[in-house]
Amino acid sequence: MNKNYIYLTLLLIVLAGGLFLLPEKENYQHMDPEDLMWSIVQPTRYVSTDQVAKRIIEGDPTLELIDVRTIDEFEEFSLQGAINIPIDSIMVPEYQDYLGIEDMSAVFYSDDDIKADQAWVLAKRLGYDHIYVMKGGLNCWIRTIIKPERPASTAAASEFELYSFRRGASMYFTGAEIAIPDDEGKQKVQVARKKKTVVAEGGC
Amino acid sequence: MHVHELNPKRTMIALVIFAVIIVVGLLTLSGPRLKYALNPEQTIELVTYGEGMVYPYELEDVLNGSIDSILLWDIRNTFEFGRGHIPGAENISAVNLLTPENIKRLKQLKEDGMAVVLYGKDQLHANGPWMVFRQLGCDHVNILMGGYDYYAEWQDMLGDTYYDDVYLLGMPDFDYVEEAASAVIVAEEPSGTKAAVTVKRKKKTVVAEGGC
Repeated sequence: MNKNYIYLTLLLIVLAGGLFLLPEKENYQHMDPEDLMWSIVQPTRYVSTDQVAKRIIEGDPTLELIDVRTIDEFEEFSLQGAINIPIDSIMVPEYQDYLGIEDMSAVFYSDDDIKADQAWVLAKRLGYDHIYVMKGGLNCWIRTIIKPERPASTAAASEFELYSFRRGASMYFTGAEIAIPDDEGKQKVQVARKKKTVVAEGGC
Repeated sequence: MHVHELNPKRTMIALVIFAVIIVVGLLTLSGPRLKYALNPEQTIELVTYGEGMVYPYELEDVLNGSIDSILLWDIRNTFEFGRGHIPGAENISAVNLLTPENIKRLKQLKEDGMAVVLYGKDQLHANGPWMVFRQLGCDHVNILMGGYDYYAEWQDMLGDTYYDDVYLLGMPDFDYVEEAASAVIVAEEPSGTKAAVTVKRKKKTVVAEGGC
């Protein structure tokens, strides 16, 4: 038998041995730093507390709230339906199963938005998509949704509209009673009824 | 009789070509331009220990010239930079942070023992870019707490910010449980108490005003 065959075989065996030197395969693909910076520069990752409130109230099934505070803080108070992934446990595989679910949009939140943003940068680097940050965090949640401030009487109509949404949302989330100021001179509502017509009205 | 044995050198040639292709392949294997120096676990450590944060009152020494080894980089856009910035800051908008020239410059600055302080509109604005630099191993890149907005508010009395804590982030401002439970919403006030609105009307001018 030709000696060269032996050399060729040995070479292939040595090269195959090189596979042992390859780093352990990770279940995610790191994002290139330049691409990461590019997606950081876009402000599209931020969602407002109003948007989050609206989606919770409407029961949006694609919303996945992720609380990145500690377990204790999470157990004390969290948003409706939120999952707790403390920022220092983001590398734990069981927690990562919550990220990257198809068609779900994961919204990170913390006390304000710094921690959530840091978790976002990490998750983005790990290659997860459809992730967002709730701007202002829980502090902003209390300020805008739980204790909304009445706009000045000169404010634009859109602000009143937002205020009325927030008041409704506040009732939804706190179950608060509305303290209606005593108002004696209430006008009676007169209901104008439609007269019945004899002939059946159109229909199919 | 095997075909190859007609020319015993044939396998030798194949062996050499095979080896050459592999060697050339390994030599020309090029890595990505930028590589992470910190793995995700190290990055988590970095953000949980609050390393690389520059307090607003620390700026005072930079601004009065007693520390000259710190460069300020403003990552806001040129328009906002033009409206106002920290004296001595350089405007490098966020999209240009990772250009090859800038990376080269950062390396040079590190060799020269200089540090960089990034700032944006607020701390959140510079947080992402700062994290990318740190993950690339630029541990001489720091972030200004509070960002430009906080600086602008306090620029005449930066020293006093030592006693302020508004710029400290990552802490609850409320007792959430209490707030969420005790909220009582005052409904609209009865309409009778509304202030009368006085409408100022523009006086009619006789001459027809402009128009096409």
